Amino acid sequence: MQNQNQNQEGQLADGQTASEFEDWASFGDDDIMQQHSAIRSAEADKIPFLGDKEPLSALAAEYESGSPILLEKIKVLGDQYVAIRRTRGDGNCFFRSFMFSYLEHILETQDRAEVDQIKAKVEECRKTLQSLGYADFTFEDFFALFLEQLDCVLQGNDSSISHDELINRSRDQSISDYVVMFFRFVTSGEIRKRSEFFEPFILGLTNATVEQFCKSSVEPMGEESDHVHITALSDALGVPIRVVYLDRSSCDTGSVSVNHHDFIPAADDLPNSTSGGSVTKNPFITLLYRPGHYDILYAK
Amino acid sequence: MIDFARVQKELQECSRDIEASGIKVTPKSENLARLTGTIPGPIGTPYEGGTFQIDISLPDGYPFEPPKMQFATKVWHPNISSQSGAICLDILKDQWSPALTLKTALLSVQALLSAPQPDDPQDAVVAQQYLKDYQTFSGTARYWTETFAKTSSLGVEEKVQKLVEMGFHEAIVRSTLDAVGGDENLALEKLCSG
Repeated sequence: MQNQNQNQEGQLADGQTASEFEDWASFGDDDIMQQHSAIRSAEADKIPFLGDKEPLSALAAEYESGSPILLEKIKVLGDQYVAIRRTRGDGNCFFRSFMFSYLEHILETQDRAEVDQIKAKVEECRKTLQSLGYADFTFEDFFALFLEQLDCVLQGNDSSISHDELINRSRDQSISDYVVMFFRFVTSGEIRKRSEFFEPFILGLTNATVEQFCKSSVEPMGEESDHVHITALSDALGVPIRVVYLDRSSCDTGSVSVNHHDFIPAADDLPNSTSGGSVTKNPFITLLYRPGHYDILYAK
Repeated sequence: MIDFARVQKELQECSRDIEASGIKVTPKSENLARLTGTIPGPIGTPYEGGTFQIDISLPDGYPFEPPKMQFATKVWHPNISSQSGAICLDILKDQWSPALTLKTALLSVQALLSAPQPDDPQDAVVAQQYLKDYQTFSGTARYWTETFAKTSSLGVEEKVQKLVEMGFHEAIVRSTLDAVGGDENLALEKLCSG
């Protein structure tokens, strides 16, 4: 898949002389890349990778002059949720939301059993990537950086960090981007490992094969996440995720309700796990989905 | 800031299986930000038998930003500019991922030589020829491979003859070749720019 700008470039060339086309050909791509980064930095000025915690009323304020249905839904949300934390809309918002939400949960609960659980899963992911033929050096730095953050949010070590420091790190590109890429590796590895499971969902989204989908929609930075990505990440790391949908759906039935979906990790493949007997964990991560974007929601 | 530790690992990895892949990456400068990639022309294509050099420069954001690559060896291909060597390939743009490496990117460039995508051209002239007159395209691509991608095997007289056939005066060709140390590509560049 080539991007649209090149197509435009090609079309422009038809009506122009060869030498003018060469100008486009030599400078077009750089221009496009520069434009991309200009758009990104404009976006960055508006909101950091991770915003401040805001009361739910801040969300309502956004729609004050807008859809009454959405305002109704936000009112309903208020029964269960108190606050929102926004993330930058750069295509990595799901992963950045998940990163902060997860690390913040560990920081606040000091749940060492959960940390042991996820570390075991991370090791599995490492083996998955190796068996899929990824060279170690392509992913090891990203894995190491995530594991380091995990150790830092556990208190009582020399490297322990405060909540403020966690926020700083989550806004630091050199940390946030590495963790996003870690999640992208994990997601891609899980999808490829269980390609026969994910194939029908991927065919429903695009015309691509599993391999193409991972190469074009999972591994590049800035590619948006869909339910396929969320399912794969949740399964791979054994972390349940709740997504609350704020959109105009189901608004003609009279009473307003807000839909949500819980992504519960696929039953563990432990040899002795009995069917249906496994403990289902309740999601401790809740994300708010508005078409095209994820933010973090805080429950009461 | 370029992740040089990673670049170093990539170079090691690449030199380890150079026999199998034929893909070579060598640094141009001490700081590893500028490199030269070498790929053999794929067998069964008009590029067969040629050795193609690609200028690589790493942006500050590498490996989050894609490496900049362009052909240093002249090549006749719908997705490569016949003048600048600029490459039209998605993974060098918005489809780049840190999961890719210089070697996998060069393998993709090599695959592009095997499978041109004339509907999404970099060089409109070449693409038109590819679509409308494949025979001529194939002949031209092979001639360019012979002329530019096999220079090391040519003797001085052959180089002179090739450049003269292109319409340059023999005396000027000889003096230019001398000035650039016998490198036919450099000589042609100089002749064209002068």
